[in-house]
Amino acid sequence: GTVTDQASAPLPGVNILIKGTTTGTTTDWDGNYSISAKNGDIVVFSYVGFKPQEFNYTGQQSLNVVLIEDTALLDEIVLIGYGSTTKQDATGSVEKVSEKEFNQGAIVSPEQLLAGKSAGVRITSSGGDPGGGSDIRIRGGASLSANNSPLIVIDGLPLDQRGVQGVRNQLNAINPTDIEDFVVLKDASATAIYGSRASNGVILITTKKGKTNAPLTVEYDLKASVAQVTDYVDVLSASEFRTIAEADTNFNENLLGNSSTDWQKQIYQTAVGAIHNVTVSQGFENFNFRANVNHTSQQGVLTGDLYERNSVNLSAVQRLFDNNLKLTLTTKGILDDNKYADKGAIGAAIGYDPTHSVYNEDGSYFQYVGQNLALVNPVFSLDNNNNRARNTRNISNFNVDYNMPFLDGLKFNLNAGLDYSEISGKEYRLASPTNPGSFNYQNFYTGFNRNTLLDFYFNYKKNLSSLNTNVDLTAGHSYQEFYIKSDRRETETSGGLVPRATIINRNALESYFARASFDIANRYLLSLTVRRDGSSRFGEENRWSTFPGVSAGWKISNEDFLQNSVISNLKLRAGWGKTGQQEIGQNYGYLGVYTPGRSDASVQFGYINGVPQFVNTLRPEEFDENLKWEETSQYNVALDFGLFDERLTGTVDAYYRETTDLLATIPTAAGSNLSDLLTTNVGSVLSKGIEFSLNGALAQSEDFNWDMAFNVTLQENKITKLSLGTDPNFFIAQGGISGGTGNNIQLWREGLDPSTFYVFRQVYDTAGQPIEGAYVDVNGDNQITEADKQAYKKASPDAYLGFTNTLNYKNLDFSFTFRGSLGNYMYNNVASDRGNVTTVNDAPGQYYVNAHSSVLDNNFQKQNLFSDYYIERADFVKLDNVSLGYLVPGEKIDLRLSLTATNLFTITKYDGLDPEISNGIDNNFYPRPKTYVLGLNFTF
Amino acid sequence: CESDLDLQPEDNRLTADAAFEEPGAYKAFLAKLYAGLSVSGQQGPAGDADLSGLDEGFSNYMRLYWSMQELTTDEAVIGWNDGTIKDLHAQTWTSGNEFIRTMYSRIFYQVALTNEFLRQTSDAKLDARSTEASLRGDIQKYRAEARFMRALTYWHALDLFGNVPFVTEDDPIGAFLPQQIQRQDLFDYIESELLAIEGEITGARLNDYGRADQAAVWMLLSKLYINAEVYTGTARYSDVVTYTSKIIESGFSIADNPYYHLFLADNDTNGTQSEVIFPITFDGLNTQSFGGMTFFIHAAVGGSMVPADYGINGGWAGLRTTSKLVDKFPGEANSADGRALFYTDGQTKEIANISNFTNGYAVEKFRNVDVNGVAGSDPTGDIPDTDFPMFRLADAYLMYAEAFVRGAGGSATNAVNYINILRERAYGNTSGNITQSSLNLDFILAERSRELFWEAHRRTDLIRFGQFSDQGLWPWKGNVAQGRTTEAFRDLMPLPATDLGINTNLKQNQGY
Repeated sequence: GTVTDQASAPLPGVNILIKGTTTGTTTDWDGNYSISAKNGDIVVFSYVGFKPQEFNYTGQQSLNVVLIEDTALLDEIVLIGYGSTTKQDATGSVEKVSEKEFNQGAIVSPEQLLAGKSAGVRITSSGGDPGGGSDIRIRGGASLSANNSPLIVIDGLPLDQRGVQGVRNQLNAINPTDIEDFVVLKDASATAIYGSRASNGVILITTKKGKTNAPLTVEYDLKASVAQVTDYVDVLSASEFRTIAEADTNFNENLLGNSSTDWQKQIYQTAVGAIHNVTVSQGFENFNFRANVNHTSQQGVLTGDLYERNSVNLSAVQRLFDNNLKLTLTTKGILDDNKYADKGAIGAAIGYDPTHSVYNEDGSYFQYVGQNLALVNPVFSLDNNNNRARNTRNISNFNVDYNMPFLDGLKFNLNAGLDYSEISGKEYRLASPTNPGSFNYQNFYTGFNRNTLLDFYFNYKKNLSSLNTNVDLTAGHSYQEFYIKSDRRETETSGGLVPRATIINRNALESYFARASFDIANRYLLSLTVRRDGSSRFGEENRWSTFPGVSAGWKISNEDFLQNSVISNLKLRAGWGKTGQQEIGQNYGYLGVYTPGRSDASVQFGYINGVPQFVNTLRPEEFDENLKWEETSQYNVALDFGLFDERLTGTVDAYYRETTDLLATIPTAAGSNLSDLLTTNVGSVLSKGIEFSLNGALAQSEDFNWDMAFNVTLQENKITKLSLGTDPNFFIAQGGISGGTGNNIQLWREGLDPSTFYVFRQVYDTAGQPIEGAYVDVNGDNQITEADKQAYKKASPDAYLGFTNTLNYKNLDFSFTFRGSLGNYMYNNVASDRGNVTTVNDAPGQYYVNAHSSVLDNNFQKQNLFSDYYIERADFVKLDNVSLGYLVPGEKIDLRLSLTATNLFTITKYDGLDPEISNGIDNNFYPRPKTYVLGLNFTF
Repeated sequence: CESDLDLQPEDNRLTADAAFEEPGAYKAFLAKLYAGLSVSGQQGPAGDADLSGLDEGFSNYMRLYWSMQELTTDEAVIGWNDGTIKDLHAQTWTSGNEFIRTMYSRIFYQVALTNEFLRQTSDAKLDARSTEASLRGDIQKYRAEARFMRALTYWHALDLFGNVPFVTEDDPIGAFLPQQIQRQDLFDYIESELLAIEGEITGARLNDYGRADQAAVWMLLSKLYINAEVYTGTARYSDVVTYTSKIIESGFSIADNPYYHLFLADNDTNGTQSEVIFPITFDGLNTQSFGGMTFFIHAAVGGSMVPADYGINGGWAGLRTTSKLVDKFPGEANSADGRALFYTDGQTKEIANISNFTNGYAVEKFRNVDVNGVAGSDPTGDIPDTDFPMFRLADAYLMYAEAFVRGAGGSATNAVNYINILRERAYGNTSGNITQSSLNLDFILAERSRELFWEAHRRTDLIRFGQFSDQGLWPWKGNVAQGRTTEAFRDLMPLPATDLGINTNLKQNQGY
């Protein structure tokens, strides 16, 4: 007979076995097989990724079988770091998101594939810039000042959490097309095997490899996109602006023009982009490979902004000695090219006097010549200021996986990884047209990042039939070193191009790790992990720390009383783990080091022959000899369930996490150290949450499938201790804003979420209008001072959710994803900074500045930066993407056409540009465009 | 691989032992103690900041000290919306004021730097490093200067905050909580330090320009003694006479230059330097900062003032003065007294709205042009060359006269003569000269303001004369246009709430 998939494509390599015997075979290249069977035999067909099927042999001449792809197989392999388990045996909070669940669209940055797809994972892009990075938060981040991003591991190589130089987003080195799946490790029992870098969760990215015994496949994929800004900051029109300017007692008509320019429309463009992928793959008995060539070119909507990627990704797998030795090489070469548009143009366009034209009559740019503090014509900045950087990067990983011949079940795995990138950048800025004394500026920057890894482990799997227990033991060692070097030459005030001191940073981590997993009677699971990490960032006494994790599971559905019920899977699991953090940015925080000063910050020590003598300085840096690991302890309880033969599956996860000895940069006791702020171990934060996800196959047939996935996360973070003292009112200002220098709108204080705002409570008149400058006198001392500020609302959400539907009817497919956030607030800094009359009239020079339109509502005369009037609800639901595709199957070529729209609409009450800004401060935000994508995919 | 975890800096940063293998490192570290007052970090004008709790430009020592001493008084207002900066003039500051906090942080940063210098230059350290004898001789001079710089800073702490954390080179560096010292004890400590180094430091007018010498020590002692009654309750005016006399007799002189030459870009060479006892030096190319002189000059220019007249590329439109200062000059802005350096074109004398630059006369005391009107060395017009005369002979004269009036002895002839030397320069002739009958405390306070306004003395002076808080009125004091008195406890600044939250050994100043 022949074995095919649902699309009638032959499946090679399908295992066929007469049940209860050792008689079996596999299908050939064309899906054909032959096997001898007798009446009453049960023939089992199995193939990875498909549901196994059994047939009673009743004497047929041939048996043609269609295997159905499995969507949520319980024995699906899931990576867990230095090994793997199956979905049904996983005891930690581990979620796998595979290709078919990915977000659709012209996606440049891989993390965007995952946005909204996994409970507890919040991915917020930094804005609309092409290839821009994102804030990735798993369970809200465990730290204050140290890194809050998860550890990203690509094919076994943990990336440097600081990123690499000169790129918008270091993850862009991974072509989204090459990604097989993401595995998100959320709780500490799952992440503890990554010890010191695991407090914020771990994302394991597996790239695609060739398949064994697969025919030569050539695939070409194109995604062409068009993006546009659809919303602008509300500023005054030329006539509204003129009305306010004219009302001023010192009004000077000569400073205004006669135009009516919408400056924001002058700086944005329709951005086009194209992503080309050519992929070739083939698999033989012992060798397979996959090669991908990618070209990505994406303009930004800010004129001149451009991201380009040219990359090659190769993977090769060689199996030797009867498949006992598997060698895997993956290597990626990436040219990441950026032209960074001058983002200062965004703020300049918002503030530029709308009565002036972009150009003078003679074609030159309109400028406020000689007005040093005036805004520079934003069109001029975009046209003339130039910053280009190329990052040339190689990420390679070589893996040896060897089944030791002398002991059945013992395996040795060795992984050698390298992530090396070189940056070369050139920045040019023309002399500021507003300052005749200024000079053209050049900045040439170069450098490299090197991340080297060597790790190995032994794994032993054994079925102890006498104890009815499967045992899985792993132990290993890892060493990873990070080296960063940067050089720069730039124009100095004196006009010359001078080299700056080379900056070198090297740090290293050494680790030992082990795991023991037990599956008793296929019902009771127990997993123990431990990692011992040493970091070069701490002194010898604090260098090493141990991070244990333990988790247990009960596969209730395997108990007799649930057999043959609608419940196809039910598992209760619980875990605890301790993880660490050392990602504080600085390398020698425990060591007092001395930094030389530059010659432009030297001091005069007298004269020699009438020539002033300047002495360069030497500065001792602050340090904390006792700097040590930040430690996070996390508990997790969860229930996984599956109903109706896994057509409806879901998980409820609850966690409680406490981070102590926080690596926080906080004020140090005056006089005790060599700065006002010091990175030290102090305080603790607590977070807890519940995550719920539900996946349903609403329809499942040969012609029509409808899958729906929903996830929601409820979370709460708060600071439980912030200083060595006991003052409950002690706080540290956070969240810098614009409008005056050194102003902050948020605070850290015990008992509060770290993104809480700190504001005056606005007083309103009976008509509901804010009374300017009138705030609640909280302490009743008849004056409004600092002491009357109140903690009020927060930027982080109480809940966020994702909702995805995927439908296909025959060759037509349709999918869409909604993402939402509840309970988050935003500080509208554009309105607070510019929404007042003084902004227009009291520029520090001979010119006027445009104001935010909110001044028309409130008639504020001055800035009221700290009024809670500007703290707005920013709940939202966003239609992230909608995609429609059609597959045209052919004899030799399959063609798939798709049309995708992303960022289609947002439902929100927030007045500003976008309710989704991760720090909760909306100021000169790079707008996220609406994008339409045409996709073409040819498979030969 | 475990040894691979012992990583040390591989770029230009060095561990202490590696740094001091280079003999020049001691002088470079000493330079940092001076730079602590003029620049804000290891890069000019910003980048690689010393302090990170506030915007770097604002965190400059001189800018903060000046703001404490001037913005709180009748001599200056600022129009900006930077945090709580307007609370300084309104005298409504709280322990949460970030400018007060950063002043305090700056002071203790400077103290910690000097302590570290003294630890790194101890005999034991120098022995261990087998330091050469000639270098050791230099280092002993450096140590005396470091102790002077620490005493200067502790004096600022004594004057502004009173009872503060106290650390010396005998304390470690780390996460410990310093003990609080009482104002009397801090006074005694500063006095003992100055007396101890008086004989060790380079003699008066013998050190490099920009560095402290014996005269600077005497000057600081004089400042300490003249305010001793405020600091300790015990007057020490006769000591003022003693030490100002030492200064006056050590060869400083009032140059034959117009008064305004003291505050120009070439004030280190135009002749007026003969009066300067201790300057904070600035330079357009080599000593760059957004605090210090950059702030004093840029922030004072706005309205219809032409920036080029002040040698800069643009004004920041922030600082002006109140009518109270203007009124101290007979004839106001058009006074025959050449010290009335006001800009009035388009400016109102009274202030209706502090935020608006054109409310209140502008002050054109500091400029980045030389005596010929040529701008300073920075071609961009950002950073001035003008040095800040922190201690100058005129102040010593005025202190001598004040001590005399307060009955501490000295000579009436000298007292009147010293005042008249200053007034002859101010008027260009003897028409402004006074006689002994005019010499009283009110005159001294007003004369100090006329001579020394915007030179960071005013708050201390007003407190010494009892005119700062519950006495004394000027526009917008107390946050009302006509001015109102405030609570007497405001003669001392509050300890910052952040430090009280951290350092449980501290007790807040009374009233806050």
